[in-house]
Amino acid sequence: MSATASVGQFVPGGLGYLRPPAEIELGAYGIDLRGLRVADIGAGEGRLALGAARDAVSVLAVDPDRGALARGRAEARRQGISNIKFSEGAAQSLRLPDASFDVVIFSWTL
Amino acid sequence: MVDALQEAHRILVERGVFVDARPDSRVSARVRAKSARGTVIGTIGTQRPTKTDDLSSDKAVRDVLTRKLFRSRRRGRLWHAIPFEDVGELNDYLTDHLRFSKRVRWLAPASRRGPPLFVERAVRFEVLEKA
Repeated sequence: MSATASVGQFVPGGLGYLRPPAEIELGAYGIDLRGLRVADIGAGEGRLALGAARDAVSVLAVDPDRGALARGRAEARRQGISNIKFSEGAAQSLRLPDASFDVVIFSWTL
Repeated sequence: MVDALQEAHRILVERGVFVDARPDSRVSARVRAKSARGTVIGTIGTQRPTKTDDLSSDKAVRDVLTRKLFRSRRRGRLWHAIPFEDVGELNDYLTDHLRFSKRVRWLAPASRRGPPLFVERAVRFEVLEKA
């Protein structure tokens, strides 16, 4: 991955969404998720996590909001995505093993 | 916030990648008329408490970089356009918004304020690697 900063680059974020579509946001990060284990912390309904699951080997979406997690699970079922799990939790105290993910994403979390 | 970053560090493999992405309150959102690439006719700032929170987040990221838990690999910004039918719908949106200021700072007379309107907000991101 390039170490070159790209501040100021215009990346069209798409229309009709209150947040950027997952493919736009993930594309901006410039990370090839193929074969990687991804944790999306503060995932909400899984907007980004569901997008990541298209390439990653597995995705864990963590959020304290049970309702949001339920909606995310339903959307995963609707889209036929099976390599994603939704789990209740908070960013500051994750009940997850050490060194268990290749990529951790905080999008709108900090 | 530092606690959350330390947790991210803990669950990552060696040289694992951490991404921090959030709205960029350092720059005002732009209100464009007619299209997402139309003329900028206004700006929207960020509420002061939210700016303070964002500065705390920045400080937390700087802290883990200083402690060499992570190294920065890449940072950038993307712009996200949100469409609104007219000024009324935009004002309603701002009334309930937790980040944006409640009012648009208009740069154009009312006759040139769309519709439709597009609010283009900045989203900043930084890609870090576990050191």
